[in-house]
Amino acid sequence: MQLPDYREQTPEVKARFDRIKQRPVIMKVRDLKKAFGPAESEHVVFDKVNFDVYRREFITVIGPSGCGKSTFIRIAAGLDESSGGQILLEDKPVGGPGPDRGMVFQGYTLFPWRTVKKNVMFGLEMQGKSKHSAEQEARQWLEMVGLSKFENSYPHELSGGMKQRVAIARALANDPRILIMDEPFGALDAQTRCKMQSYLLQIWKKVDVTILFITHDLDEAIYLSDRILVLGVNPGGVREIIENPVPRPRTVEQFLSPEFIATKRRLDELIHGPAVEQDGEDDKLPMIRMTQAGDEVE
Amino acid sequence: MSTNTDWLGLKKELPQQRRLQLTILSFVLPLVLWCVVSYVPWIWHPLIHVTDPGDVEFFSAGMDMPKADFYEQNQKAVAEGMAPGKGYPVNPVYLPAPGAVVKAFYTAFITPPLLPGDPWLHESLLHSIRTICWGFFLSSIVGVPLGVICGTYRFFSRMTEPFIEFFRYLPAPAFGALCVAILGIDDGPKIAIIVIGTFFQQVLVIANTVRKVDPSLIEAAQTLGAKGWRLVWRVVIPASISDIYTDMRILLGWAWTYLIVAEVVGTMSGITYFIYQQGRHFMFENVYAAIMMIGIIGFSSDLVLAALGAVLFPWKSKLRAGKKASFWARFNFKPAAAAVPEPN
Repeated sequence: MQLPDYREQTPEVKARFDRIKQRPVIMKVRDLKKAFGPAESEHVVFDKVNFDVYRREFITVIGPSGCGKSTFIRIAAGLDESSGGQILLEDKPVGGPGPDRGMVFQGYTLFPWRTVKKNVMFGLEMQGKSKHSAEQEARQWLEMVGLSKFENSYPHELSGGMKQRVAIARALANDPRILIMDEPFGALDAQTRCKMQSYLLQIWKKVDVTILFITHDLDEAIYLSDRILVLGVNPGGVREIIENPVPRPRTVEQFLSPEFIATKRRLDELIHGPAVEQDGEDDKLPMIRMTQAGDEVE
Repeated sequence: MSTNTDWLGLKKELPQQRRLQLTILSFVLPLVLWCVVSYVPWIWHPLIHVTDPGDVEFFSAGMDMPKADFYEQNQKAVAEGMAPGKGYPVNPVYLPAPGAVVKAFYTAFITPPLLPGDPWLHESLLHSIRTICWGFFLSSIVGVPLGVICGTYRFFSRMTEPFIEFFRYLPAPAFGALCVAILGIDDGPKIAIIVIGTFFQQVLVIANTVRKVDPSLIEAAQTLGAKGWRLVWRVVIPASISDIYTDMRILLGWAWTYLIVAEVVGTMSGITYFIYQQGRHFMFENVYAAIMMIGIIGFSSDLVLAALGAVLFPWKSKLRAGKKASFWARFNFKPAAAAVPEPN
């Protein structure tokens, strides 16, 4: 099949990206560096990471294991410190963790001693809101993620997908400037993950929030995002920022569209390297015959 | 699925009914052994209880003597043409029969004290329970907060725990003389021994439990805007409270084991005094009954606390909301140590 260039955009998609770039910049990443060990023999995870995140943009960070995507997210959340450079949130450098950056983790991290509603209320209580108004708001958010019926359940009574919806509601209830999601659907089975992806797109449509998403799943990245930032290893840093040519609204059928496949091929190339180099030393299995003659798999 | 006949499946849980059967069996087996030794005359019974001394001058009615001596003397008497003594085999006085002990559970309560002015059995028991409660309470009001603080802040942990770690190796009864000198001979030193025996373990155990709080929960709370003291109060403590409760149940069990040594310090008191008095008067069925009462009180209070815990911390129960079990339905025979938190 002749694939289009992944950089080719239909006029609608191009217009959309133009509109996005007109919007104010929510988050600026400037010369961000993370390294471990002493200065003379340091191990650089990534260096010179520079990009902007526009308001209401859905941006995904993707990369092979060891590229430091989780480290990057933790720095953005204020849970780790960078070795150089900075992240600016609305022109203010981020320090420690704070409610202006909502976090959704892979491991749900719901408070097991709180009911679903009380979990969503947590951030609101921390803001000093009265119990009554916190409860009202929590109910609204639970309605939006479709879990009103479960407001008095405890997290352990919910399925993985439901837990993650509560976690999203909890993060959004704080009205964060940016929602940072660290492989949020990685622990879910394929079917639930697919459902959650379309839920997330629906939520994003309804809420004024910018999403910074981390994943290692190529399909997920293309299905969800506006732009895809590819991190690499050796040397660590930004490989490319791809403007996703797949038009919105996104549907599952688009998984087979030429733009989708072209983008996926490019991502695959960036992450796993060109097909020739793929048969590295590590990938070769020793050739020992364990079957009997005539038993070969065709 | 395992077959129904498989009783010895490796690390396989047994069906409910079999678990119950085995629980009962674990109590019945030692009881049966005890009954056999007590009621089957040709098993053990090393002594002869003399009922009729005959013409043997050593013998007197009502005495217990070793079997060998009894037969030797009787043989001699028969050889000399005298009437032999009569008797029946008995166990030593320190091993009363189960029936006698069961009876003692009732009679010990209605028998007046041996000495005028001494406490009745129920008074002795209450005294002991009071001593335990005071000791455990005094230890806990300092030990629990200190444990939580040590578990939360490395600063306090490093500052206090090495010394506590050292101190907990000092056996609590060793402080008996010191406690009497400082606190007199009444309940003071006894409570102090229980405090010494409990406090140092308590701080370390609770600090450890608090340290095990999932750090990702704390991080999540931070990203939701929780800071400083509120982070401790709203996240660290609720996240560990049910495990602290389990620790407290285990620690209360340890406090019971310190009771007897504590009660011999100064003037002997409580259940220890009762046991001592009964032993001195060879009423060993009462001794056994009293020892078992300690076990029963300790065990049943732990069961009540376990059931209470399930009500207090509903997120730890596996039951779904909507079909909440009653307070009584939550009793189970799991020892406290096995009540590990669910991997969420």
